[in-house]
Amino acid sequence: MRLVRDQSHLIRRRPAIRFTFDGGMVEGHEGESVAAALWRAGLLGLRQAPDRGGPRGLFCCMGLCQECVVRLDGHLVESCRLTVSEGLILSRTEQGL
Amino acid sequence: MTSNPDIIVIGGGIMGASTALRLAEGGMHPLLLERGDIGQGASGVNAGTLSLQIKRVALMDYALRGYDLWRSMGAAVGFHCTGGYTLAFTPDEAEMLETRQRLKREAGAPIRFVTPAELRIAEPLLSDKVVAASHCPLDGYANSSLTGQYFRTRLKQAAIPYREACAVEIIHRDDPGFTLQTTQGRFQTPRILLAAGGWLAPMTDMLGTPLPVHARINTVTVTERLPRLTTTVIGHATGLLTMKQKPNGTMLIGGGWQGQGTPWEGRGRVSAESVIGNLALARFVLPALGTARALRSWTGFEAHVPDFYPLAGALPSIEGAFVLGCVRGGYTIGPYIGRLMGDFILGREPELPLFDPGRRFEEN
Amino acid sequence: MSTEADIAILGAGPAGANAALAADQAGARVLLVDDQPGPGGQVWRGKSAAILEAPPTPESRSGDALRRAIAASGMGHLSDSRVWTIERGDAGWHLHLADGAGQRRRINTRSLILAPGAREYVQPLPGWTLPGCIGLAGATAMMKRDLLPAGKRVVVCGTGPLVFFVASEIRRLGGGVAAIITANSRSDWLRTLPALASRPGLAARGALWIADLITAGVPILWRHTVTRIAGSERVQSVEVRRVDADWTPVGAPLFIEADACCIGHGLVPNSEPASLAGLKPRFDRKAGYWAPQAKPDGTTAIPSLFLCGDGAGIRGAAAAEIHGRLAGLSAAHSLGFGPGPDNALHLRYLKATRFGAAMETLSHPRPGLAALTTPETPVCRCENISRLALETEIASGAASVMAVKSGIRAGMGACGGRFCGTAVARILAAANGRSESEVPPATARPPLCPVSIATLAGDFRYEDLPIRKPAPL
Repeated sequence: MRLVRDQSHLIRRRPAIRFTFDGGMVEGHEGESVAAALWRAGLLGLRQAPDRGGPRGLFCCMGLCQECVVRLDGHLVESCRLTVSEGLILSRTEQGL
Repeated sequence: MTSNPDIIVIGGGIMGASTALRLAEGGMHPLLLERGDIGQGASGVNAGTLSLQIKRVALMDYALRGYDLWRSMGAAVGFHCTGGYTLAFTPDEAEMLETRQRLKREAGAPIRFVTPAELRIAEPLLSDKVVAASHCPLDGYANSSLTGQYFRTRLKQAAIPYREACAVEIIHRDDPGFTLQTTQGRFQTPRILLAAGGWLAPMTDMLGTPLPVHARINTVTVTERLPRLTTTVIGHATGLLTMKQKPNGTMLIGGGWQGQGTPWEGRGRVSAESVIGNLALARFVLPALGTARALRSWTGFEAHVPDFYPLAGALPSIEGAFVLGCVRGGYTIGPYIGRLMGDFILGREPELPLFDPGRRFEEN
Repeated sequence: MSTEADIAILGAGPAGANAALAADQAGARVLLVDDQPGPGGQVWRGKSAAILEAPPTPESRSGDALRRAIAASGMGHLSDSRVWTIERGDAGWHLHLADGAGQRRRINTRSLILAPGAREYVQPLPGWTLPGCIGLAGATAMMKRDLLPAGKRVVVCGTGPLVFFVASEIRRLGGGVAAIITANSRSDWLRTLPALASRPGLAARGALWIADLITAGVPILWRHTVTRIAGSERVQSVEVRRVDADWTPVGAPLFIEADACCIGHGLVPNSEPASLAGLKPRFDRKAGYWAPQAKPDGTTAIPSLFLCGDGAGIRGAAAAEIHGRLAGLSAAHSLGFGPGPDNALHLRYLKATRFGAAMETLSHPRPGLAALTTPETPVCRCENISRLALETEIASGAASVMAVKSGIRAGMGACGGRFCGTAVARILAAANGRSESEVPPATARPPLCPVSIATLAGDFRYEDLPIRKPAPL
């Protein structure tokens, strides 16, 4: 019997929907942050940093560090500031951007 | 060495540093004083454009020689020769472009006119609303933020002593010679060179030879890294836009949009309306910028006198006092005119004429 | 598009939202601007729209109450809106922002209250850029907004109370904690007992978290730190070592498998908005960071500019709430609305700051912290610049943060130097034998966040170009 109980089963979310990232389908709950949905799906590496900086992904989770950016309609957007919606199409940034 | 300089150079930008290097080559022992970091004034924050298309007709010989010096400085200053285009979008702009560029070509810059079709092959992503364009194959850029590092290294190699964070507060004429009161103590010297750019006016006031130096507050903006969009330096017939994409993919956008402030307030302040206007024009000229983000804007002070020609020579009626600055296009011309200035102070005949600070300034 | 206000407030966390409520109640025309989807800031961050039902927490209750109060007030409120620059106007201030719809907007306000809060400081260490490594405050944000724990085998590392909060939340939300690694010792914590005694509720919660971790067999390694985060494409393990009282690693390395690492070494104020507004940061010796200054009543050295909450120095949520209220009352009163703050409130604020200040001492940087950054560690994440590259540039003569930036681009990337600036300044100070108080941060430049050129360009027409006199020929 834990002192701090696992309450995850008490959480109800909007239905899971699918969105596209890097050409593949990812499941997420409508309205949650894209960064969270990608993280839950095991997609932690979102881009390659410039100058052989290696794989990068979510870091500050509050829109400051710019490590989690993905491409939406040609624009780079912080995935921690994007919400999951039906038909959302996202792609990775090019290498080194 | 610091205790007995032959000359104190006040101002550690391209002008002051280039002159100091020439003086040392010629056997003098200069001491250089800089209020901030070496090369952090206009020298270090401008857009880095090395374009003959924007140089004044009468300064073209100086610009060509300055350009050659930048080319020889090479990778250490991030020099790139890319060629450059100046664009016109209306009949009036086209006419202005045609007149002005022809005169600059006659002055020695290898400029030619290109058709919109030829432009589209060289720069396919530019707006299709261009009506006229000129091209110069020599145009390019250097990385202005490397100015400081570059000259610091050169000064050390030449064993020229310098002080940073050393602001000159008072210049006293000892007749002969000068005593300088600075934030790092007092210095005495038989000669001074004022190469303080936007900070010149109070110094010339102090010496009793006020010069009408004004500073424009130019704004530059840099974007995030972008896929390759342009390969040349882009200019606008009105001067309202310069654009160049660096090897790392960032786009540097300028055009002399004005910020606010004065040199003695420290850094200038960016004006939001200027950034908005500058970037709106940039996007018009290069529509792909519509999906890009701006990361940082800053300002720099570009000094000039009413006739927009340099100050380069001896201060009138003061033995041992010299001034160098206020060159429009000072980034390109700087290394060369610094060399001329050094020769002049050494008592040699400079290769090209200098610009008498004691002249009468005709409004331009 | 332009909007007018008597008082604009930047930031809707405990400080900003309370400043707005106080000013609104005093009768001023108020506009609350925030870059998040709803008020609450970090500590009372609201849940995402995906969450239909979840067990409440003390923070969620406080946040919901705040959000209800803001909604009920009828005050002007712009959420999801990012201010990219702040300018002095003739009769006040101009805020330029990109709103939630990507449109450019300008706010003209007579007085301005800044409540920009704080961000995390993470000491750069090998592997800190690996996917799966997030900040403690970052993990908190993800758990509050999306109720998502970082993993099933999370190593939680750092200093201060957040370490235990994050570990506990990970467990509560169905994740798993592999170990807690804290450079603090039990006696560091004992020294905060007097302050803890003033907040018995919080102290009890903390004791419960620790008791839960112990009874669950989660290792708590006091006086230890993560020295390396390893993995090929993501976090797979961490290297941990014991540290001495100066936080210098001294023990033999031990290795812990992990699927995520949450790490943080204290909070630092977001000083950039104040800096742009003309309020330069000053070095806070007690805290070990640079921060803009505000008085308890929220006033600053600039009339018509007010500052409150963690953005003026980390004091925690309880103090921020009151500081916000004080600032809102001061700002309103200065424009002729309401009586201004009273002494009782001032005293409550001072009392509340003691707890936050005590918690902060746990994260005050000690000399060994900087040693975590090996020569190859990227200090500037955005531009991938290592400590070695920085020290080489410094050895060649770069003597200020700006000079280092100019020379090798450290701090010129997309984050605007937010995650490297402090570390760079500390490296510079150490290399030149100066104290940190002598190495100020580089001047803040706009924009405060990356801003879309399309947003700025708006509906530009070529005919709108200003006519400029041609340059002299």
